[in-house]
Amino acid sequence: MNDIKIVSTQSTPLIETDSTRGVIYMEGDSYPENSFEFYSDLVKWVSHYLKESERPLVVELALLYLNTSSIKVMMDIFDELEEAHQVGREITVNWRYDVDNERVAELAEEFKEDCSFSFNIIGQE
Amino acid sequence: MLVSDLYELRERFDNEKILLCFNGPISRSLIEEIGNALRNYLKTEQASPASALDVFAVYIELTQNIRHYAVKSKLVGADMGTVVVSFRDSHYHISSGNLVRYEDGESVLKAVQSLDGLDKIELKKRYKDQLRKPREEDAVTGAGLGLIDMARKATAPVQASLKSLENGLGYLSLSVQI
Repeated sequence: MNDIKIVSTQSTPLIETDSTRGVIYMEGDSYPENSFEFYSDLVKWVSHYLKESERPLVVELALLYLNTSSIKVMMDIFDELEEAHQVGREITVNWRYDVDNERVAELAEEFKEDCSFSFNIIGQE
Repeated sequence: MLVSDLYELRERFDNEKILLCFNGPISRSLIEEIGNALRNYLKTEQASPASALDVFAVYIELTQNIRHYAVKSKLVGADMGTVVVSFRDSHYHISSGNLVRYEDGESVLKAVQSLDGLDKIELKKRYKDQLRKPREEDAVTGAGLGLIDMARKATAPVQASLKSLENGLGYLSLSVQI
């Protein structure tokens, strides 16, 4: 399957997928005007990956600021991961943030509340 | 405005502790550039990373709401926005104003009023409920989730006012304290 490699801009994060290793990596700010359009390739990739294989998926995040429409898209993605996890898929999210900015941890925490898979919020000095 | 008048304008900005003000057509790239300037300013003013992020988040929601409304409403002049960020009495205040159809303005006022008096826990519940609504339901003014998000970040109730103009139009102003 085709992997995604999107470079970051001021308002959109870097996104990379690796279907052989089962990894998604995202880093940066996310406040595009049309988040649904911006994330459509990633949303498709996730659905495809979950359907095509039974391998684990690890989501590595270093996201900082998300506007509300990006939050909505991310929640949709996490919901899909949760569904897969409910039927036995191994899912891990690692969200790294700078310990100086507790807002990022709070944001990650609110996503985590609705997920039963392994969701690690990792503060870094 | 005559050049000699600018000093008075500047004085007014200074008196009201305005650190950033924009009035004119709002574009996507302008939102990014002004947002960048705002972030840099907050960094040099040594605002805490948390409040800097809150101010930036409110700025983005307010300005993107104006953009989305201009596109959806197809109202001529709706993309003309006024954005003001000030710092007074130890708080940041982010305000925006734009032209709306009067009835659309009224529905935003109603939405803001419905959040008044809710505590943090109730606001969080509203936020999560709204987050799980299908996208179309959120699309009427486009401001549903953004308003709740701003109310959650705000340290005082969100202020909203609507000035009636001719031809069924109104000027909507929103102000958020961080």
